[in-house]
Amino acid sequence: MPIYKAPLDDVRFLLTDLFDAGDLATLPGHEEHTPDLIDAVLTEGARLCEELLHPLNRSGDEEGCHLANGVVTTPGGFREAYAAYREGGWTGLSADPAYGGQGLPHTVQFILEEFVCAANLSFGMYPGLSHGAYAALHRWGSPALKDLYLPKIVDGTWSGTMCLTEPHCGTDLGLLRTRAVPQDDGSYAITGTKIFISAGEHDLTENILHLVLARLPDAPAGVKGISLFLVPKVLPDADGRPGARNGVTCGAIEHKMGIKASSTCVMNFDDATGWLIGEPHKGMRAMFTMMNSARLGVAIQGLGLAEASYQNAVAYARDRLQGRSVSGTKAPEKAADPIIVHPDVRRNLLTMRAFIEGARALSVWVGMAIDRAERHPDPEARQEADDLVALLTPVVKAYFTDAGFEATNLGLQVFGGHGYIREHGMEQYVRDARIAQIYEGANGIQALDLVGRKMPQHMGRLLRRFFHPVAAFIAETMDDDALAAFVPPLAKAFAKLQQATALIAQKGQKNPDEAAAAASDYLRLFALVALGFMWARMARTAHARLAAGEGDAAFLTMKLRTGRFYMAKLLPQTDALFRTILAGAEPLMDVEADAF
Amino acid sequence: MDIKSAAVIGSGVMGSGIAAHLANAGIPVLLLDIVPPSAGESGDRSAVAKAALDRLLKAEPAAFMHKRNARLVTPGNIEDDLGALAGVDWIIEAVVENPAVKADLYRRIDAVRKPGSVVSSNTSTIPLAALVDGQSEAFRRDFLITHFFNPPRYMRLLELVTGPDTRTDAADALAAVCDRRLGKGVVRCNDRSGFIANRIGTFWIQSAVNAAMDLGLTVEEADAIVGRPMGIPKTGVFGLIDLVGLDLMPYIARSLLATLPPDDAYRALHREPELFTRMIAEGFTGRKGKGGFYRINKAGGGKVKEAIDLATGAYRPSGKAQLASIDAARDGLPALVAHPDKGGRYARRVLLETLSYAAGLVPEIAGDIVAVDEAMRLGYNWKHGPFELIDRLGADWLAAALDEAGQPVPDLLRRATGRSFYRVTEGRLRYLTVDGDHAEVTRPEGVLLLADVKRATKPVARNASASLWDIGDGVLCLEFTSKMNALDTDIMAMAERAAGLIGDGRGAWKALVVHNEGDNFSVGANLGLALFALNIALWPEIEAMAERGQQTYKALKYAPFPVVGAPSGMALGGGCEILLHCDHVQAHTETYMGLVEVGVGLLPGWGGCKELLTRHMADTKRPGGPMPAIAAAFETISTARVAKSAFEARDLKFLRPGDGITMNRDRLLADAKAKALELAAGYTPPEPVALRLPGPTARLALELAVEGFRATGKATPHDVVVSGAVATVLSGGDTDITRELGEDDLLALERRHFMALLHTPGTVARVEHMLTTGKPLRN
Repeated sequence: MPIYKAPLDDVRFLLTDLFDAGDLATLPGHEEHTPDLIDAVLTEGARLCEELLHPLNRSGDEEGCHLANGVVTTPGGFREAYAAYREGGWTGLSADPAYGGQGLPHTVQFILEEFVCAANLSFGMYPGLSHGAYAALHRWGSPALKDLYLPKIVDGTWSGTMCLTEPHCGTDLGLLRTRAVPQDDGSYAITGTKIFISAGEHDLTENILHLVLARLPDAPAGVKGISLFLVPKVLPDADGRPGARNGVTCGAIEHKMGIKASSTCVMNFDDATGWLIGEPHKGMRAMFTMMNSARLGVAIQGLGLAEASYQNAVAYARDRLQGRSVSGTKAPEKAADPIIVHPDVRRNLLTMRAFIEGARALSVWVGMAIDRAERHPDPEARQEADDLVALLTPVVKAYFTDAGFEATNLGLQVFGGHGYIREHGMEQYVRDARIAQIYEGANGIQALDLVGRKMPQHMGRLLRRFFHPVAAFIAETMDDDALAAFVPPLAKAFAKLQQATALIAQKGQKNPDEAAAAASDYLRLFALVALGFMWARMARTAHARLAAGEGDAAFLTMKLRTGRFYMAKLLPQTDALFRTILAGAEPLMDVEADAF
Repeated sequence: MDIKSAAVIGSGVMGSGIAAHLANAGIPVLLLDIVPPSAGESGDRSAVAKAALDRLLKAEPAAFMHKRNARLVTPGNIEDDLGALAGVDWIIEAVVENPAVKADLYRRIDAVRKPGSVVSSNTSTIPLAALVDGQSEAFRRDFLITHFFNPPRYMRLLELVTGPDTRTDAADALAAVCDRRLGKGVVRCNDRSGFIANRIGTFWIQSAVNAAMDLGLTVEEADAIVGRPMGIPKTGVFGLIDLVGLDLMPYIARSLLATLPPDDAYRALHREPELFTRMIAEGFTGRKGKGGFYRINKAGGGKVKEAIDLATGAYRPSGKAQLASIDAARDGLPALVAHPDKGGRYARRVLLETLSYAAGLVPEIAGDIVAVDEAMRLGYNWKHGPFELIDRLGADWLAAALDEAGQPVPDLLRRATGRSFYRVTEGRLRYLTVDGDHAEVTRPEGVLLLADVKRATKPVARNASASLWDIGDGVLCLEFTSKMNALDTDIMAMAERAAGLIGDGRGAWKALVVHNEGDNFSVGANLGLALFALNIALWPEIEAMAERGQQTYKALKYAPFPVVGAPSGMALGGGCEILLHCDHVQAHTETYMGLVEVGVGLLPGWGGCKELLTRHMADTKRPGGPMPAIAAAFETISTARVAKSAFEARDLKFLRPGDGITMNRDRLLADAKAKALELAAGYTPPEPVALRLPGPTARLALELAVEGFRATGKATPHDVVVSGAVATVLSGGDTDITRELGEDDLLALERRHFMALLHTPGTVARVEHMLTTGKPLRN
């Protein structure tokens, strides 16, 4: 049975030492959300994840979901766990108090999501999808729709989905065919088939609200002709009580590599009654409102699973006795040394840890920017924060899920053959992590979003929100001897990122293939620098606290060592990536399609 | 025959504008109009002409190239001052388009004018034959039509029409004056109604209006099609009518209808839509009226751009035209006319009608197609004349399309099928004559066009943003070719390449001319590139770019060969700075120089501060001490003053007294080349700069002045920051009067403060705002 303890110490370091969580309480609407309150909420959330959700992770994977007579049954214990989750108010953690939510900062929501995903990713899918539906409806829904549906979704009695994909179209939504025909009563009749619908059908809630992309009869072709509709599984009466069953059915559930306890459904809409959300033909815009936060949510799945895998790998590496250290026996009293003495096992573990802690810091930085973008009183500060989030969203989505998947693999590797068998749960993390690289915009698409949209937008204005703080930090700390292991490597990698950015912007203007060919390597280069920036900042903070004799010395010392590992062993990958980018599109594009 | 003085009779918009432009050419001019009936015995009998002169001084864009030119215009009236006509060489009639009024006036003029003087009419519609009917033989010999376009200073076309009796020498002399001194592109036209430009232009307007209404296009859609995609100004057709005045349309139409041949296609095309009649009656005649097809509705304190719905006649909010054909037009005219949507059908119909009409008018209205194309380019600001447009579509395509539509194919078009109206052979541009041969397009003596050089030769060197051309006699021409002629490192590299090729000036090359035929010489450094570099914090690279520009310009200045700048249009920022480093500038009159960097929160960093300051310091007429010179340079730079003509540029010291001014743009390159060759003989580079500047004391004085502006709200908070940097550089930084500062000291100072400004959020915001909106940010 795998273990999991939510990394509260690290979160506290980030919220109180590295960033000032007190800043959140200066935002209008968050005055009461003091660091103490946030800490109490997260402590309670950590307990819930460790004690309620984590124990169901393995069993849920073994049992999976079942479809019979159009009804999907979730694995044993999920219903009870969801009820407890709901009753604890966790479904409405960051939701609008006007609809019964607790109105906590998004930052807190994201941190909790890491715990949930680490404990039980499949379970997390259900409230996660609801949250996305909540966000779109809250931003674009009519007052009547909001009054009727939001309280139910906030208190978790009803759940939500996002119905985008169809059998013939996934990434290219411009091709979608689902139709919406206006009815006399102002509603619409929705007909079509959606696939890969997470939480499309299940037994956790009494109603499911599907947010469906469809075309109106007069819609222009392509993505400019897509509208968003709310289609409930059960039609509520005026008082919100579940009434007649709507024309929505689950036709099948998918048999997948991972997240088996999450039901992935084929949804058939047959003249189902729905209501327009937002303006006609503006469905993509409405859907994209939740895309930044949804993508950050997926990024955090990679992070959470890496953390879970890491904790188990460390425990195993300390326990498992095998061979002797090449530099001389370390545990003569035992039959063999624990494998943690071996440099390569350490390489695996530190690679995981350096990614996890760097990524966690970055996710909190972005999370706080989401809160500022929403609530900061100064419009310029809001714009600045929004730019940063827009820029970093593809970076964290793709990198956290790629590196997260790699990390779960390293964790499995530490276990050797025991990782490959199901008993220890290490292979489940690998399987579960794999999907995050694909959904919510495949990682290749994230890279295109970064170089094709975010980079050139407003002549590079979005880039400024990241590049200037990094440049300023480097200028400020370059001569600090205490940070000699951190800042010079960061400066070197950052210079590569600057050069690559200028190069891609220039070459991409003349030949879009050049930008596209560089995209994935560039995104990774960007992410490595972003984590490097976080590590250098963490190192500065850890140093300062150690020097002042504050904090947990062991924790802070380990922070510095992990950071040094990152700077010395991982960040130099930027050199190779830079060379790969320099090589341009030709090695990819001069191969004839037939010759593959 | 020389024109030493002139008179213009009729002080309306055209007459007064012509008078102002004669003054711009240095020709004293009498501006006469009627005695106002209200004047009586005691009132001002020249009030009409005087009022016109007052209007000229306030005209926007300015009618005078320099305010002092107004002194050359003497207002008067045709009763008391008619006798003064005896003293002038050229009398221009610009009165109401009424043959009887003109005939009567001509007789009065003829009675007093001196023998051999020339009389011309600015009529736009009345044939010459009708005008001279019944006039004396001497008058007929001295009479011709000189048709200017509005506004006379800026529109380059001058249509010149002679009659059978007109003296050839008089016509030639006047053509030469119009060309060289007034800077006009003189196009000789036959004596036909509407001459060339208005004959075709009016037809085109009518065709575009009819088709828009028939096919149900909005005014925005119509203008977006018959505008940019056709190389026509973006005002298109409805925007153009708003500009010239809808109320003028019926007059033009009626006078054309009165004189056009009976079978002319315009007769069938002509319509006066009820909506237009109503708009005129209600005063919605365009920009000079209550609004036209477009208007800015300021009701409710807002500023909403509105457009008229052609079907209902009601105003509605104006929006950007969105037609697939507009996007398709990016692939060229053939893609536009082939597009199936209404925009494509609209383009096809208007082009078919207009181009076939034009093709049918040669040789009736002009001897050759070159004259027709030139007239439409210079008179209507079309990028391509009708025959050039046909070549873009293909003469075969047009002939086939006309056949298909069952419309006759004009003879000349028939002759062009299977080939084109223009072609280049052996590096020479040739045109299809009415006889069906291709003859070389010849240029007047003293005209050197880079376009011709480019057709005839390959560049000596070329990169993405600049080229070097051999313009003959050992002179190289540096041409900017980047978008908007924005300056970048490629241009610097090409300037350095030129310096390398010319070497000591004793080899194959002797001199360099910096010139291009773009609308604007250069609007400055490529800010987009700079902003992107700034956004990704590439500070060392940005500083290197700044230094590269400084070093390149300095190298041109001290090169062992002469460098002559030959600008036209805007020469701003870095574009102005390169000219400040030239040994000589031969400027087109319509050159607009300015160091406008403060508008984007920066200071001139490519030697602009240094050069302007040096010029002011070298002015021996200034009162004692360096302060007045510093203050003058400071005022010019910190207020981003732009000279509105080459003459104003002299006042601001962007041009030196010895720098030349050329009125006719087509003669600019030849003038510049001649000057370069003149300088090349025994050339010695200028002495290095060495200045003694007061340092902080001067800076404080300037900053105090800026604080005053700040206190009264004339300067914004970031103005203070930017002006402070300009003041620091111009006062010499931390220097004092005992120290001598060299060129490199001043450049280092410029660079340091340029970089410091780039680090301020206020400057970043200004750059960003300029690039996204095209307007300066006042932060």
